[in-house]
Amino acid sequence: MLSNKSRAWVPLMAGLTLSLVSFCAAAQTFDYQLAPQQIAPDTWVLQGKMQDFSRKNGGNIVNTGFVVTEQGVVVFDTGPSHRYGKALRAAIAKITDQPIVHVLNSHHHPDHFLGNQAFADSTIWALPGTGQKIAQQGGAFADNMYRLVGDWMRDTDVQLPHKPLEIDSLALGNHRFRFYPMTGHSGADLLMLDETTGVLFASDMVFYQRALTTPHTPGLDIWQQDMARIDEIPYRQLVPGHGPIVQDRAATAQMRDYLSWLDTTFRNAAEQGLSMTELMATPLPDRFAEVRLSRAEFARSVVHLYPRYEDAAF
Amino acid sequence: MAKRITGSLLSAMVLASSLLCSSVAGAAEQADPLQSPMWDYTRQIFLGQMPWQFDARVKVSAPPFAEDPTQVPITVDASALDGEIDKVIAWADLNPIQHIFTWFPGDKVKPRVSLRIKVQQATPVRAAVLTRDGVWHVGGVQLEAAGGGCTAPSTGNADPYWESHLGEIASRRFGSAQSSRYRFKVVHPMDTGLVNNIPEFFLEQLELRDSAGKAVVKMQLYPPVSENPVFTFDLKGNVGQHQLWLRDNSGNEFEQTL
Ligand SMILES: [Zn+2]
Repeated sequence: MLSNKSRAWVPLMAGLTLSLVSFCAAAQTFDYQLAPQQIAPDTWVLQGKMQDFSRKNGGNIVNTGFVVTEQGVVVFDTGPSHRYGKALRAAIAKITDQPIVHVLNSHHHPDHFLGNQAFADSTIWALPGTGQKIAQQGGAFADNMYRLVGDWMRDTDVQLPHKPLEIDSLALGNHRFRFYPMTGHSGADLLMLDETTGVLFASDMVFYQRALTTPHTPGLDIWQQDMARIDEIPYRQLVPGHGPIVQDRAATAQMRDYLSWLDTTFRNAAEQGLSMTELMATPLPDRFAEVRLSRAEFARSVVHLYPRYEDAAF
Repeated sequence: MAKRITGSLLSAMVLASSLLCSSVAGAAEQADPLQSPMWDYTRQIFLGQMPWQFDARVKVSAPPFAEDPTQVPITVDASALDGEIDKVIAWADLNPIQHIFTWFPGDKVKPRVSLRIKVQQATPVRAAVLTRDGVWHVGGVQLEAAGGGCTAPSTGNADPYWESHLGEIASRRFGSAQSSRYRFKVVHPMDTGLVNNIPEFFLEQLELRDSAGKAVVKMQLYPPVSENPVFTFDLKGNVGQHQLWLRDNSGNEFEQTL
């Protein structure tokens, strides 16, 4: 749980909140109403809402996807809850009778892997670093999700990935998938290119029209270097971790623009001696202000990252 | 451990409700804008029987939610009362240890300070400024518990880095013609005594002294101040050297020319 937070207060509210949550949520129906959208031959995406986690959206703020081959289905990310995983599985079953063969967890953030239980009979793959992080932090993430979205999470437990992904590519049916391991967003981020269709599942390395999140980035410099690598990938269509699908380079251009602005803004603030609260009050340029949740995510990023810039300026 | 905190918080809340009936005459009509169940209790603790008023000139800034509850940035700014201030007290109503700091700003420093604090849950964060006419001026802000975008709040680490770096100070002075700003960071665990049987161990006194050894900033600190605290103070004028001096509750003293 949160015991690695050695110098925090005791998290005494967790249990209390849980029981209240289950009580208050009784009236809801908990139907994610997943509607797969076909974006390429054999390829479907389930686009989440461009919001924060809430009791209304049940944590469905994430994009998941799947590819149907004549030898089985490949699933990319399993969503925020057991309920979501089951709904995703049901949505796939309406489209094909093929078995689900491979499931990939792009990274260790809760909205991307907490649906794993519904796919326990397939092979669940993740980068070795992702498997370790899920083992270490998955329980705390699940607890936090119960707190944020309530009974949507019922019966959700951490299902670890089965296999460390240490291969470059994988063929299934007439589809060939190429893997790109990166680190910029969470420390272990998996991108998957379907070479047959040109669809790139970019995981949370790419957000579009929804502000990016930084709690586990190894650094904006590393994320920016990874973005340059993504632009070299020969994709025809990009599925971001959050936000709409693009057929051009608009999503990566927005990412690079914002990452670079964030890095420069933090560095300048540290050189001018701004405190965190002063930096948080910095106005966002118009082109970022209209990105969903940009103000809130900017404030979060200040907390995550500004201490590094302060240390460098002292 | 959790039990102990719950117990003290509950008894405080019971006490708070019993104090509801004995609020200071003349102030009873001023309802708490933050609607905290603890307001009457914390007011009695920190302001005693002295006259007080809510006052928008005492500004407390904090982010809308506590992304990392162990490192919540706050700024207390009472510039509008500059020249009349005797002391400033800051606290968080719903913390197991409420008191954050008591500050005697003096006339060489602007009455504005930034630092980071620990919170247990969503809570009002307040500052009360005692002016020389004997009246407390109270400002505050509501801090929500962690929001949540793509993930849970980041988790801290149990790295015992501080053991070999205790009291190390990193600092920088940012000057302009009319003022100079000091920012500094002190390596210290700031243990609350409430977690995992680690005894309380925290910096409790901070002074910024001029070249004659006279304190221009004097502050008492309490365990809700974050681990490895970072402070921002603004001095009036931009002359002279200053010395930072701190002492923790184990009697360790740390000193550095800034
Ligand atoms: Zn993520």
